[in-house]
Amino acid sequence: MKRTLATLITFLGIATSVCAQSDVPILSGALAFNSSATAGVTTFQPTLAPVLVAPIGDHWLFEGRAQLLGFFFQQNGTSGPYTGQFFATLDYAQVDYIANPNLTITVGRFLTPFNIYNERFSAVWIANLQDSPIIFTIGTRTSASSNGGMLRGVVIERPNWLLNYTAYFSALQTTENLQAGRAAGGRIGMFLPKAGIEVGASYQRFLQNRNYNVAGTYFAWQPPQIPLDVRAEYAHSLGGQGYWLEGAMRIAKSRGTTTWLGRLQTVARVQQFFKGTPTPQDVLPSADVNQFDFGLNYYLPHDVRLNGSYGRAYSSTGNANIWNVQIAYRFLFPAWPGEHK
Amino acid sequence: MKIWFTLLFVTLLLACSIRVLAQPQSSAPATKTSNSAVPKKVKSNDGEQRFQANCGRCHTPPEAISPREVKAVLQHMRVRAMLSAEDEQLILKYLAP
Repeated sequence: MKRTLATLITFLGIATSVCAQSDVPILSGALAFNSSATAGVTTFQPTLAPVLVAPIGDHWLFEGRAQLLGFFFQQNGTSGPYTGQFFATLDYAQVDYIANPNLTITVGRFLTPFNIYNERFSAVWIANLQDSPIIFTIGTRTSASSNGGMLRGVVIERPNWLLNYTAYFSALQTTENLQAGRAAGGRIGMFLPKAGIEVGASYQRFLQNRNYNVAGTYFAWQPPQIPLDVRAEYAHSLGGQGYWLEGAMRIAKSRGTTTWLGRLQTVARVQQFFKGTPTPQDVLPSADVNQFDFGLNYYLPHDVRLNGSYGRAYSSTGNANIWNVQIAYRFLFPAWPGEHK
Repeated sequence: MKIWFTLLFVTLLLACSIRVLAQPQSSAPATKTSNSAVPKKVKSNDGEQRFQANCGRCHTPPEAISPREVKAVLQHMRVRAMLSAEDEQLILKYLAP
């Protein structure tokens, strides 16, 4: 009985210390429903994208994100009964070791750090427009995720500027839902916090089927005085090259405004793609494309966002109208219960 | 029987200590922050500036972050959005002083 008591006390002691920690794991992510009509073909996509982040002390971190997607469409494209499929993918499941202010070592499955759209703007609750840019697949093949190792961190930090870097290697993986291409690459970026400017460049050597180089640059600008977001990327690969430029403006004096009009954001994006030499398993368009999109986002209370957008794509293979309507709810709460006032 | 009373007493004692230990964190100012009124009482200019300059680069901050969640959120952002160690510490102090 004494042994049982001692075990119980030890267990409760551990529980006490764990519960007292402020670094509890969090469960975040989004629940969304998207309706899209591209060239007259209507699809419906419910999405659940949970994110788990579990810090283990000050240096270790586990983070993962999955996507549970539904895809419903008419059997004959524009006619017939609706049919649907469900997919599950693992976007990332990585262990990070924050070694020092200049170095974080990541192992596992991570979002391929080519330019910044994939890592930072592609999440369903972040993207200003629901359709990814045409050049998104350049540098992020085969699944936008990599399986391997990555080094990253801030190299130099000064009051007016900051220089960061990323270097990674990914192994080939063909298992369903865990696909990754064999590639190595890196990115270097500079952030000017007072001006709200970010610039950077990416390089990747794709190392399977046919080895080739991929390169890209990015730019982001948030003038501190007005709630304007400007983002742009350029990418070049054997299969083609292109760019996108996006501007988003809140109808308010500042980003934090929560008046009914201040919650409205207008978005516009232009993009051009120029076809190169077709490469194996290329998922780029088969012809040059010019496209513009215009959208409205409305940030409702309780982290709910409504999006609506219209786009027009011009291509020698046919012009198309692209409509999107989405409602997304972003959630964030501790992964286990406790005080949450 | 005595043993069960002892067990019950120890359990209650530890349960209370959990509560007491958790108290300072949960009762800290701006325990639950609102995006529109991000901790005005505990403003540290540096922390607020870093928060505005870094978090809004990609997204609107969530409406509410409790101090229990802040550390995990910031470590996640340190890796994903390349926050510097200094930014992480200042924003942490700003959101969960």
